[in-house]
Amino acid sequence: MLSIGAMANIKHTLQKELFLASGERLLSVVTVVKKKDKKPCYLCVVTTAPPVPVVTLCLIKQSEQREGEYKRKRSWQLDEIKWVDGRNEQFETHEFDLQLEKLYKWYALNPHERQNFLAVLNRQIQKSVRGQRAEFRNVPAAWLSEKSPEKVALGRAVQKTQHMDDEEDEEEEAQEFTALTDKEANELGKLFSECDFAIKDAEQFIEQLSRELHDLDGANMQSVLASEQKVLKMMEHIDNAISEADKFENRLDSYEDILGHVKETMEKIGGKNAMIEIANNNNIKLMKELNKVISQLDLPHSQQQALDEPDLKTANGRKAAIAAAQCLQQAMNSDIDPALLRLEAVQDQRKRFEKWKQKFSATVSRFMNNLFIHLGNEIGDMQVTSTELTLPNHSNVHRELTPYTELMHWTKAMDRKTYDGLMRVYTASLSKIYDRDVRNFFNLAKIQVTEKLRNSREDLDMSTSSRKSAVSTIPYGTLGINRDQWGPGVETADRMRFDALLEKVLAELEPIALQEQLFCINFFQMDVISPTTKNTQTTLEMEKAVDMTQSIISGAVSPSGDGVPQKRIDRQINEDVRKLMMGLFGCLEPELVSFIQSFERVDSFYSLYVFVRLTQHVMSAQDTHSFLSMTFASALVQVKRSFDRFMQNQLLSIREAKLHKRSKAILPYVENFENFAQTAEGIFRKSDRRTDMEKWYLQLVNAIFEGIQLHSQEHPKTPVQVVRMENYHHMYALLAQLKVPGLDALKKEAKKCYNDALKAYVTQYFGRPLEKLNQFFEGVQLKVAQGVKETEISYQMAFSKQELRKVIAQYPAREVKKGLENLYKKVEKHLSEEENLLQVVWHAMQEEFIAQYNYLEERIQKCYAGAMINLEFNIQDILAFFSDIARSH
Amino acid sequence: MSKKPTAGPALHKVIMVGSGGVGKSALTLQFMYDEFVEDYEPTKADSYRKKVVLDGEEVQIDILDTAGQEDYAAIRDNYFRSGEGFLCVFSITDDESFQATQEFREQILRVKNDESIPFLLVGNKCDLNDKRKVPLSECQLRAQQWAVPYVETSAKTRENVDKVFFDLMREIRSRKTEDSKATSGRAKDRCKKRRLKCTLL
Repeated sequence: MLSIGAMANIKHTLQKELFLASGERLLSVVTVVKKKDKKPCYLCVVTTAPPVPVVTLCLIKQSEQREGEYKRKRSWQLDEIKWVDGRNEQFETHEFDLQLEKLYKWYALNPHERQNFLAVLNRQIQKSVRGQRAEFRNVPAAWLSEKSPEKVALGRAVQKTQHMDDEEDEEEEAQEFTALTDKEANELGKLFSECDFAIKDAEQFIEQLSRELHDLDGANMQSVLASEQKVLKMMEHIDNAISEADKFENRLDSYEDILGHVKETMEKIGGKNAMIEIANNNNIKLMKELNKVISQLDLPHSQQQALDEPDLKTANGRKAAIAAAQCLQQAMNSDIDPALLRLEAVQDQRKRFEKWKQKFSATVSRFMNNLFIHLGNEIGDMQVTSTELTLPNHSNVHRELTPYTELMHWTKAMDRKTYDGLMRVYTASLSKIYDRDVRNFFNLAKIQVTEKLRNSREDLDMSTSSRKSAVSTIPYGTLGINRDQWGPGVETADRMRFDALLEKVLAELEPIALQEQLFCINFFQMDVISPTTKNTQTTLEMEKAVDMTQSIISGAVSPSGDGVPQKRIDRQINEDVRKLMMGLFGCLEPELVSFIQSFERVDSFYSLYVFVRLTQHVMSAQDTHSFLSMTFASALVQVKRSFDRFMQNQLLSIREAKLHKRSKAILPYVENFENFAQTAEGIFRKSDRRTDMEKWYLQLVNAIFEGIQLHSQEHPKTPVQVVRMENYHHMYALLAQLKVPGLDALKKEAKKCYNDALKAYVTQYFGRPLEKLNQFFEGVQLKVAQGVKETEISYQMAFSKQELRKVIAQYPAREVKKGLENLYKKVEKHLSEEENLLQVVWHAMQEEFIAQYNYLEERIQKCYAGAMINLEFNIQDILAFFSDIARSH
Repeated sequence: MSKKPTAGPALHKVIMVGSGGVGKSALTLQFMYDEFVEDYEPTKADSYRKKVVLDGEEVQIDILDTAGQEDYAAIRDNYFRSGEGFLCVFSITDDESFQATQEFREQILRVKNDESIPFLLVGNKCDLNDKRKVPLSECQLRAQQWAVPYVETSAKTRENVDKVFFDLMREIRSRKTEDSKATSGRAKDRCKKRRLKCTLL
């Protein structure tokens, strides 16, 4: 097979040898063999030189005689090719057929050449053959596309690119000379057929053509000259048209002028119409306004009468009077333009109003005045016979007055002075009643307190008749003083009764005060601030005065401006209401305080539960600014003070507690604290004021601890450590029972102090039943510390075996037992029955003794090994002693 | 009010016994202060006193909480002597503690020299039933042999805690009334004599 290089080479050779001379150009060559003989020959596509390239297909054979000589065997025009059959679309196919005058079957040596050839052939056929073109069968469509087949092949044979480049350029050049299109060819053919001679004599033909061209030019010139006349005529017509148009324009201008005049006139008429309309509207408005003023200021005759001679006693008369009064108020407050106020008629009407108002107001004032005083006296005359602890209810007064509420409101709005006067009268006449009620109520309550006290006192005296001092000045429950020196006190049950009594008193006060307050707010319209601002609007002279009062009021309430904040208004209302209530219930606070103090005389613990109970009432009050809440709150402040004072006294009594000769081991304040804490817890357990109590607990317990440390040293017969141990033990048990979270740390401290004291007592007061033995071995220990070997101790004079035996001999079992028994007796005497610590202490002492015994035995074995020295008793003996002591008690 | 403290209510002395870690202190603290302490700290000896209402009567209970571990049993003699009633506690999760009750029982009887001393066998930690090592039947059998009540408690959940203390106090109280009935003075003498005799033996 030929290499690609050889192929390029053959193309070059053929071009040089065969086609260069004739000016032809080889476009593509394929080396083929016919089936019959094996000799290769070349199929070439050749083109002649421009300008009219003719493409032919030719078959070249190599000369048999001489190498390198080629001969053109045959040539075909491209349109002679009928069809081309590639046989197979595979690239590797070698065969292909050409149908020319007969069928040629070729075998291409190189498929690349074949591809190139077929593609070039196809392109040339497409380019230059007119009419029937050869058909390509079984050839890949890509080869037949317009795209240069070389480029398609490029991917397959890169190395070929170099050689192909220049050929390509040439080919592009050739493509510029395109064949005539079909139409042009037809035109030409027709022209030629018209002058059939032309082919024969070209010169004649050219001449004829130029002649015809000349004729045509001449005809053209003539027609141009002929059209000039017509143009001139047309110009004339146009001039005429312009002058006509000018005329029209002038006429239109004159029309416009006329129309302008009409418009002006119309506008003037329109303006006049609008003026008439406005005048009309104003008249209507004026009419309306006047109507309004008249209707507003008109007071029907029936109402005038009602105002003149009001019948306030009957419901109907009252109704009519109130209706008339409200009409009057409305008329006087009607919203009339200030300008209209200047009308004489309006002024007159207003003066009349003012007269009515004053007259009616005076009537009302007189009537209400009498009513208040009457009601006050009526109730005042009734005797209070009830012994029940209740505050009388005065809702009947409220009921009687309720129908007059609107009259009061009217008075408030229209005549402030009368209103204020009436309010004073009301307060004066009712405060008398309330004063009496409250005093009675509290007196009764106080009597109940002392009655109960007397009952319990009698019991008390019965049960404690043996007591030497009948009356003691020391308050009951004082922590630092012994119980039997306290003054009289009360039982928990009594305390609960007092608490209930207090609760009842407070609960009784609340509805009465609340009811009265509610009635007053409603009756005196206290929830609306100063509606007087408008009532004088009806007179011109007073207009300024109105402004002044307005500014005064707004100045008083809110100096910042007119927008009075709601809070301020509320506060103002509260203040007013409270003032009124204060007038009505003037004696309530001092009575309440004195009632509370009446407890103080009978029960020193009173401040605790009064504190809790009052707090409850103050906290549960919804309206914290109401009169009653304020009263309770101020009482509460006093109670809190006496609560703190009471606690302070307790604290002092602990600090100043003194021990007597016959004092018990448990210190008085430790003993009393139990009762105290239980009482306090009972009262404070569920209260909001717990924290107040807990603060005091901390102080008190701390003071107690300090006291224990101090007083334990002053105790007449009991050792310090025992006093500490027993008191801390007591305190620990107490605090564990109390379970006050704030005292947890102190509880732990109590436990620690108790344990420390126990340890100290056991070691310090043990009395050392084996005293001399211990001293002996302390000496031994000293020597050892000085460097003497333990095994050589027995050679020391003072610590010889002899000496040891002497000491041991002093402790025969009998003596030891006696010593232990004495110790037990001593401990038993030291410890109090109450704290029950004997077993605990004795347990610790037993352990301590065994530890001592073990220590001594160990020392003897170490220092006197082999000397056969032993104590005169052994562990079994000790245990037996213990058992014997146990049995003998 | 303010009666002389010496004329106080009846006092019942209860001793807690049992091996270490069975929950004697836990039961005591739960009864005394309604609290349960998880941390274990061996007790040496602690004394507690509380006022309670026993069947409508106000009484005082003294509780001596003792050490479970003791080098020498004889050390216990003294407080056993002081006790009027015993709660013998073991843990149902610990067989050894159950076996140890035998020894405690014997020592108490020996020291008190009284077969019918108020005594309750208490199986504690019954909240840990899934870790039970001592079968209920065995506990009941032992209680039956001793002729004492058996109660299971939980110091953690407070189950039966009040019950064991109150049951024991009732027994102590009924014992005391019995004793005082039986010609008070001589009964005591007789007791003492009997005790002396035993020691001689």
